[in-house]
Amino acid sequence: MRHGLVGLVVLAIALLVGPKLQAITGYYEGRNVTYIVATNAGGGYDAYARLLGGYLEKHLNADHVIIRNVPGAGHLVGANTLARSRPDGLTIGTFNAGLIYGQLAGNEALRFDLRELGWIGKAAGEPRAVVVSSECPIKTMDDLLAADEPIVFAGAGIGSASYADTRLLSEALDLKIRIIPGYEGTEAEMAMMRGEICGQVASTSSVQGFVDAGYGAYLLSVGGSIDGVPNAMEFATDERGRRIVQLVSTMAALGRVSAAPPGTPQEQLDALREAYRTALEDPALRAEARTKGRPIDPAYGDDVKQLVAAALDQTPATIEIIKRALNAGSLQANVASDAEPQQLFATAAD
Amino acid sequence: MDIVGIFAALLNVVGSPYHVFLLLIAVPAGMFFGAIPGLGGKLGIVLAIPFVFGMDPLAGAIFLVSMHAVVHTGGSIPSILFGVPGTGPDAATIVDGLPMTRNGEAGRAIGAALGASGVGGVIGGLFLLAIMPLLRPVVLAFGPAEFFLLALFGITFIAMLAGDSLIKGLLVGLFGLMLATVNLDPQTGTQRYTFDFLFLWDGVDIITAVLGIFAIPEMIALGVAGGAMADVKQRASYGLSGVLQGIRDVFRHWGLTLRTSIIGAFIGMIPGLGGDAASWICYGHAVQSSKTPERFGKGAEEGVIAPETANNSKEGGSLLPTLFFGVPGSSGMAILLGAFIMLGIQPGPGLALDGMDVVWTLIWALMIANVVAVAMFFVLAPAFGYLSYVRGSLLIPFVLTLTYLGSYLSHRAWENLVLLTVLGGLGYLMKKYEWPRPPFVIGLILGPVVEDSFHKAFALWGPAFLLRPGAMFMMALIIVSFTVYFWRRRNKTNQIQVQEHVA
Repeated sequence: MRHGLVGLVVLAIALLVGPKLQAITGYYEGRNVTYIVATNAGGGYDAYARLLGGYLEKHLNADHVIIRNVPGAGHLVGANTLARSRPDGLTIGTFNAGLIYGQLAGNEALRFDLRELGWIGKAAGEPRAVVVSSECPIKTMDDLLAADEPIVFAGAGIGSASYADTRLLSEALDLKIRIIPGYEGTEAEMAMMRGEICGQVASTSSVQGFVDAGYGAYLLSVGGSIDGVPNAMEFATDERGRRIVQLVSTMAALGRVSAAPPGTPQEQLDALREAYRTALEDPALRAEARTKGRPIDPAYGDDVKQLVAAALDQTPATIEIIKRALNAGSLQANVASDAEPQQLFATAAD
Repeated sequence: MDIVGIFAALLNVVGSPYHVFLLLIAVPAGMFFGAIPGLGGKLGIVLAIPFVFGMDPLAGAIFLVSMHAVVHTGGSIPSILFGVPGTGPDAATIVDGLPMTRNGEAGRAIGAALGASGVGGVIGGLFLLAIMPLLRPVVLAFGPAEFFLLALFGITFIAMLAGDSLIKGLLVGLFGLMLATVNLDPQTGTQRYTFDFLFLWDGVDIITAVLGIFAIPEMIALGVAGGAMADVKQRASYGLSGVLQGIRDVFRHWGLTLRTSIIGAFIGMIPGLGGDAASWICYGHAVQSSKTPERFGKGAEEGVIAPETANNSKEGGSLLPTLFFGVPGSSGMAILLGAFIMLGIQPGPGLALDGMDVVWTLIWALMIANVVAVAMFFVLAPAFGYLSYVRGSLLIPFVLTLTYLGSYLSHRAWENLVLLTVLGGLGYLMKKYEWPRPPFVIGLILGPVVEDSFHKAFALWGPAFLLRPGAMFMMALIIVSFTVYFWRRRNKTNQIQVQEHVA
C-alpha cells in the first residue's frame, strides 16, 4: 500500500515535471553538442568527458555529443575557447579547476571571470595526498614536522596548479620541504623509486597504484579522506593555515568540473544540469565508470557554483601567498633553499 | 625462466581464432594511424578504447598492443615517399629514405623499412624476454644526471654525423636547442619567447617543426625542379623485386639490424627520455659504424634500416616499465596503461607474481603484429612505389594538404600553420645551402630534456652530479665518439692527400 502511494507521488511529479522537461530536451533534438576538453585525448579529463558524452547524448536527447580536444597552456587555451564559444547551450567544456589559482593570482592569460561561467557540475573530486617513498627515512607526519633539514619533494612545473598545491600546503602546515620543480606526470614516481626524491603532493588517483605496489605510503590526505591517514586540517595550527588548507581542499573537491560559456540562457543551462545529473546517476554510467577505474563523486549546478565562488573569495594575504606559489616568489625561495647545506638524499644516493 | 609458460602464452595468441582475428584488424588500423601525419598511435588507442571496452581483458590488451606496435611501420611510408613523417620518430627515416626515392629506389626503401620494422619489433621483443630479470636495476640507474648527459650525447652525435661540417651541424643543433627554450620556463613559470601567444606556452610543436623542416622544403624543391619525386630518367627497379631487395638488405646488414634493435628497445625501456631520440641515435650509430659514411644522406639503405628497427623495438621496450612498475615510459603508454586498468589488467609489480602469462602473451602479440604488418604491406608496397613517379604538379597539392592537416591535428592550433610555413621557408633555405637539418630536430626534441634534467640534477646534487658513475660513463661515451670522429676525418684527409699525390 505504502509502495503504491510512493509510486503515485512519483507518477504525479513525473506528470507535472515531464512536459516541462520535454520542452527543454526538445531543444536538443536533432542538434549536436560540443564538449570541449582542455587536454589532449587520453588524459583523465578526456576520459571523463568521453564517459559522460554518450549518456549526455541520451539524456539531452541530442543527436551527438562531440568531444573536441583543445589542449595547451595548462588548460588555459581550452577554457578560453569555452568562454568565447556561443552561449546557446550547444557548447560545454571541462578543464582543471586549478585555473582558480590563476584567476586569484591575476593571470592575464585567463581571459574571463570563472564566476561568470554557467557551472554544470563536477563528476568527481581529485583528492590530494602527501606521499613519501619507501626509500625515504620519513615515515610519519611527525617525522616530517620534526625533520632537521628540508626534505626533498618533487613538484610539477612552476605555475602549474599542482605545484601551487604543494607550495600552499607547505606554507599552511609550515613543512620543511624543498621542492624540485619540473617533475611532470609519472616522473615523480620514478624519481621516488630511484630515491632521489623523498615525496610529493599528488592526487590520490594518480599515485594509488604506486602506494598499492608498496613503493610508497600516504602521510596526509587533503580534500578527501584515506583510511588510517590523518587529514591536513588536523595539522593547521592557525587561522591562516586553516584558510589555505581549506582552499586546497576546495580545489580538490572541485576536481573534474564542467561548465557552459558565460551568458548561456537559464533554460538551456537547467537542461544541461538536469541531463548531467541524470547521466551521472545512471546505473549504467556508474558501472562503466567502475570498470574504467574512474571514481564518481558528483556535485551539481549551484553547489559547484558556490564552491567556485568560495574558492575565489580569499583575503589579500592568501592571495599574496598564491601569487608567490605561482610566480617568481618561488624563484627566491629556491635560491634560498639552495644555500641550505646538506640535502637528504645527496648522501644516500651516492 | 619459465619456458613452458612462455610458449603457452604464444598459444594464447595464435591458438585462438578470435585473437588472431583481432590482431588482423589491429595491424592495419595501427599502420593507418601511423601513416597519416598528426594522428599517431596515441590517438589510435583513445579511439579504440570504446571498441575494446567490454572485451575480455586479454583480447582487448592484445588488440591495443598489436595496434600500437606497428604504428611506426606505417609511419615510415610517407617519410620515404614524400619526406612527410607520419609520426615524430619516423622523421629520421627521411634523411636517407627520401634520397632513395629520388634515386628511383622507393620500392627498395619501403622494403627496407618494412623488413627493418618487422625485425626490429621481433628482436625488441626477444630482448625484452631476455632482460626481464634485470629490468628494475637498469631502469632505475637512469636519473636526471644521466638524462642530461645522454641528451647532450644525442645532440653532439647527430651534429657530428649529419652533413660534412661539424661546425654547421653544431650550429643547427644549437638553433634547435634555442627553439626548445620557447615555452613556459618550468623552473620559474616565466614566459620565454612566447610573445603572449598561448600556443607557444607548451613549446614549439615537434610535429609541426619536423613537417616544416623536412616536408615543405622537399615540396618546394620538387616544384622548382619539376618532374616527379623519383629523379631518374628511366624507371629503375620497382615492383616486388625492389621491395624484396630492400628486405634482403635488412638481413645483409644483420649486425647493424641487431644492434639498432637492441639500442631502440633499451632507450624505450627508460621512462622519460622519449622514443623520438631512439631513432635518431640509431641513425647516428649507423653512420658512425659504417665503413662508407659518405653515402649517408644520399640514399644509403642502412640509413633507413637503423631508425626503423629502433622505432619498432622501442615500443616493446616502453611496454615493460608500463606493465611492471605501472609507470608509463611515454604518453602513448600512459594511455595504454589506462586502457589496461579499464580492461581489468592491473599493471605493477604484482604482475610479476601472478600475471606473467599476460606479459608474455602481450610480448608475443607485439612480435606477431610486427611480422603480420610486414606481410600485409608487402603486397601493397609496390603500389606505393609507383607514387614516386607521380608528376610533381599532381603530388604537391596532395602532400601539402597532408602536411598542413598533420600540423593542425597534432595540436589543434591554427597558429601552428603559420609556424609551419615559416619553418618550411627556413628548411628550404637550409636545404638549398646544404646545412644539415637533422641536428635541428634532435636539438628541439632533446632541448627540454637537457634543460629540465640539468636543473634537477644541479638542484639535487650540485656540480657533483657529474661525478655520478652513470654520468661519467656518458661523458666517456661523448669523448669516445668525438675521438673516433676526428680520427676518421684525419684518415680521410690523409687518404685524399695521398690520392692527390699519386695523381
